[in-house]
Amino acid sequence: MDLNLILQLTTSGFLLGGVYSLIALGLSLIFGVMKVINFAHGAMLVWGMYIAFTLMNWTGIDPFFSFAVSAACLFVLGYIVQRTVVNRIMTFHESMQVIAMVGVMMVLENMAQLIWGPDPHSPHTKYSLSTVWLGSVMIDIPRLLAFILAILIAAAVFVFLKYTDIGKSIRASADNRIGALIVGANVNKVYAVCFGVGAACVGAAGSLLVPLMPVSPHTGFPFKLTSFAIVILGGMGSLPGAMIGGLMIGVAESLGTVFIPSSLKQVISFGIMVLILLLRPKGLFGGKG
Amino acid sequence: MKIIYSFLSILLLILLLLPNFVSDYILGIFVLIFFYAYMGQSWNVLTGYAGPISLGHSLYLGIGAYISTKLAMSFGVTPWIGMWVGGLGAALVGLAIGFLGFRFGLKGVYFVLLTIAFGEIGRLTVLHLKPLGHMMGLFVDFKPGFVNFHFRGNLPYYYIALGFVVFSLIVVRALEVSKWGRYFVALREDEDAAESLGVNVFKYKMIAIGISSFMTALGGTFYANYIFYLHPTSVMSMWVSIEIIMRPIIGGLGTPFGPLIGSFLLTPLSEIARSYFTKAGLEGIHIVIYGLLLIAAVLFFPGGIFAFIKKIVKPILGESKEI
Amino acid sequence: MKKKMNRRTFLKYSAAVGATTAIAGVPTLLRAQAPEIKIASIQPVTGVLSDIGISMRRGNQMAVDDINAKGGIKSMGGAKLRLLLGDSEAKEDVARSEAERVIKDGATCLVGPFLSGNAMTIATLCEQRGVPFVMDVAAADDITRKGFKYTFRVFATTSKFADSMLFYMDKIMKEKNISKIRGVVTNTGDLFGRVQGATFIKALKDKKFPIEVLGHIEYPLGIQDLSAEISKIKALKPDVLFPVARPGDAKLMIRELYKQRVELQGIISPGSPGWYEPEFIRDMKALADFVMDNVPWYNPVGKMYKEVNSAFSKKFPGKYIDTNSGYAYLGVLVIADALERAKSTKPDDIVAALKKTYFKQDLMVGLAVSFDERGDNVNADTAMIQIIGQSIKVVLPEKAAEAKYIHPMPKQIWDRGV
Repeated sequence: MDLNLILQLTTSGFLLGGVYSLIALGLSLIFGVMKVINFAHGAMLVWGMYIAFTLMNWTGIDPFFSFAVSAACLFVLGYIVQRTVVNRIMTFHESMQVIAMVGVMMVLENMAQLIWGPDPHSPHTKYSLSTVWLGSVMIDIPRLLAFILAILIAAAVFVFLKYTDIGKSIRASADNRIGALIVGANVNKVYAVCFGVGAACVGAAGSLLVPLMPVSPHTGFPFKLTSFAIVILGGMGSLPGAMIGGLMIGVAESLGTVFIPSSLKQVISFGIMVLILLLRPKGLFGGKG
Repeated sequence: MKIIYSFLSILLLILLLLPNFVSDYILGIFVLIFFYAYMGQSWNVLTGYAGPISLGHSLYLGIGAYISTKLAMSFGVTPWIGMWVGGLGAALVGLAIGFLGFRFGLKGVYFVLLTIAFGEIGRLTVLHLKPLGHMMGLFVDFKPGFVNFHFRGNLPYYYIALGFVVFSLIVVRALEVSKWGRYFVALREDEDAAESLGVNVFKYKMIAIGISSFMTALGGTFYANYIFYLHPTSVMSMWVSIEIIMRPIIGGLGTPFGPLIGSFLLTPLSEIARSYFTKAGLEGIHIVIYGLLLIAAVLFFPGGIFAFIKKIVKPILGESKEI
Repeated sequence: MKKKMNRRTFLKYSAAVGATTAIAGVPTLLRAQAPEIKIASIQPVTGVLSDIGISMRRGNQMAVDDINAKGGIKSMGGAKLRLLLGDSEAKEDVARSEAERVIKDGATCLVGPFLSGNAMTIATLCEQRGVPFVMDVAAADDITRKGFKYTFRVFATTSKFADSMLFYMDKIMKEKNISKIRGVVTNTGDLFGRVQGATFIKALKDKKFPIEVLGHIEYPLGIQDLSAEISKIKALKPDVLFPVARPGDAKLMIRELYKQRVELQGIISPGSPGWYEPEFIRDMKALADFVMDNVPWYNPVGKMYKEVNSAFSKKFPGKYIDTNSGYAYLGVLVIADALERAKSTKPDDIVAALKKTYFKQDLMVGLAVSFDERGDNVNADTAMIQIIGQSIKVVLPEKAAEAKYIHPMPKQIWDRGV
């Protein structure tokens, strides 16, 4: 066993895990409040990537700064999707919800192809190739920056949920839907803002990924499945769980390639998902289950 | 009920005679309508009647397709026999998944995610099994003949697929009127109440998933011998599971007619969207339109189209007639 | 609106005449004598590999337009070709029903999909319906080993890829006095990737070729992070990397090789997309240099190539004719040539003409298109191309070479001042 390889894989996996966390945070937030699985999450990630990419082409703004724009645009998109679709299907049978969200996914994914074309883009940014070496372990600067920003954005989301009125209402409705109703919060608005924030998280994450991976209309799907695993691992609706789960899955998938073929590495996420579902369905950090 | 039966008989008669009047292409669309209606019906047995929502039925389709095809290619076993072996294989896997899921009491979204995870694990496993073609998939030899389940025209496929649909309708109807079916519905509606009345919830959920996965796998054999190429990513991905569940959900869950209505609506819709909007320079627009239609269908027919039809038809037939 | 009307009336029409044709399983070849000949292009223009699919569709369409501009099929009174479009969505069942649809709409011949799985389904359907099918790009050997009578392949087979790869590697190693290469093979985990990767490795073993495969790394199609895979490659310390890629992961791989400072003498693909598309060079700039790829490439000195390429780049700014669009174009030319000689749109006449095809072309590397008894183009060939100074040059075979190949890479990827 090559110790250097292990260290390298752990580092890369851990750093990418930060972005996974941010993606899963959005999914977990939406699920925690509305009990709807956002199947369009991957497609929203792609929209976040494209918005940052387009801005970079037009104005030269680095995706590490323009994530705020991606987040804002995705907030609006999420808000609209919630008001037009999600809000109407919240009381429906779960399988009905799946179909509606798959419909949203099909629309968003193929709209992206219509708008931006099918070719993958890997724009060159200032940091996209920078690295720092700690001994013989390479630390990828864009990955490190993406990690730091993802953690900061997540922290901002926590602050928002904790200290703003609407954030408090969101948390209240996650805890207890009826309770929030009685308190008199405008539930529709709370839900729409919540979906918007969830979408903004994934939009920001998309922006952070632009220097790291090719932007193309169909890249969202694997992320979606991975974030399902993360959300289960951390606990549905548990935000700290999503953060730690993301880091764990990031490291596990990266390290797993030492032991099994890379083409099988997703089995690790799904295996973890199965184990957690069976043994501790509320997740490692889910309090309420 | 009488009205329904006579309506179905007329419909069946029309469908039996239809091939005399339409082209191979239209027959092909009907084959897909029947195929997805059948797959939807198989899924309906588990989700529509007994309750647990599965989003991993592509796994059973894949197992059925791969087993019967492998038996035919390597051992010369006719798919007509192989399909039952495939069905048994899928039922075993289905029972194993069900055992885990139900024993550990997973419900709602948690069971959905469990089936997604098992579906993906199954796909990745087959992707790495050398005898099953590995990542290259299985290329099926085209050897026309009834024994080989291979035909030149769409006509035999049409009648076989229609047979599948009729078979599934009979199974589901028989279930509905049987003790099992009543227990299924009881535990779907209120599991705790059913349990307190002495229904063995675990047992009946296991029966439901066993039947459902068995039936789905039979459809897999049909798919393999109609499409002639099997690859885990084409037959076992989550997308296939979504295709399977779309039609019964839009049509109406927990009724024998939901999958049928859903398939008669959605299959041609996707076909029409594709054939009208396949234009150079606008690649992808047909999927956008189809996606919008799906959303609209969910929003406007929240209980499924069958419930909507029932609402319209009931006043005409009179309240006393039960459908 | 007009199109809808046509379709509706058509449906009625086909319902009326279908009675006689459906049972016999005869394709509904309607209006066979019309001055317009329909052929159909089915490509996966949506889904994961839509970029390649759309590029292929453009190649098909441009060939049809060019043939029409030059007077159509002259032996049939200057009949114009019309291209019906189909989208397989990269799914086999959709590929089948799209093929069925275009056959119903009167396609006399199908050209299409670069995905071998889709191609297999369409080939079987065309066999059932008795409609000629010309695969423009689909490499898996198995398809033409099924004894299909109506299926032809203009592209090179996977075995052909492996043979010429070994031929070129042998040449390079002899000329550079390299006695042994220690290499790592990577491929995507889809049909094409696996077939290319495994066939290459098998050919090396069978011929006891002095390339030692230290590792064979396969990763899922559509992968977004190759850092772990590249770390593993780095730990194996290969001389040369032999990657079979798709457009997205090629870029990912180069960047990761740069960041992790993987020392290599060369990156030589046994034949795959990803390395030659304009987007690769546009985004990777100097990092793209010295990558070699063993692909059925355009013939740089060909007259036809020059014409077609300048028209193609004018129509689609930033694009050029490459393996995919080039073979898509050639596929349609081969069909038109067969129609010209068949003087008929009857399937059996077209098949007979296709069998006798000897189509001289200088669009792609390789001699005249001509099919063997399986339907494979015996003269399909690959060229070794290399990116030199951020443009693609044919480096082998020598008779078509635009430049001398450079091996080993004079500068590592990270030494290029990007």
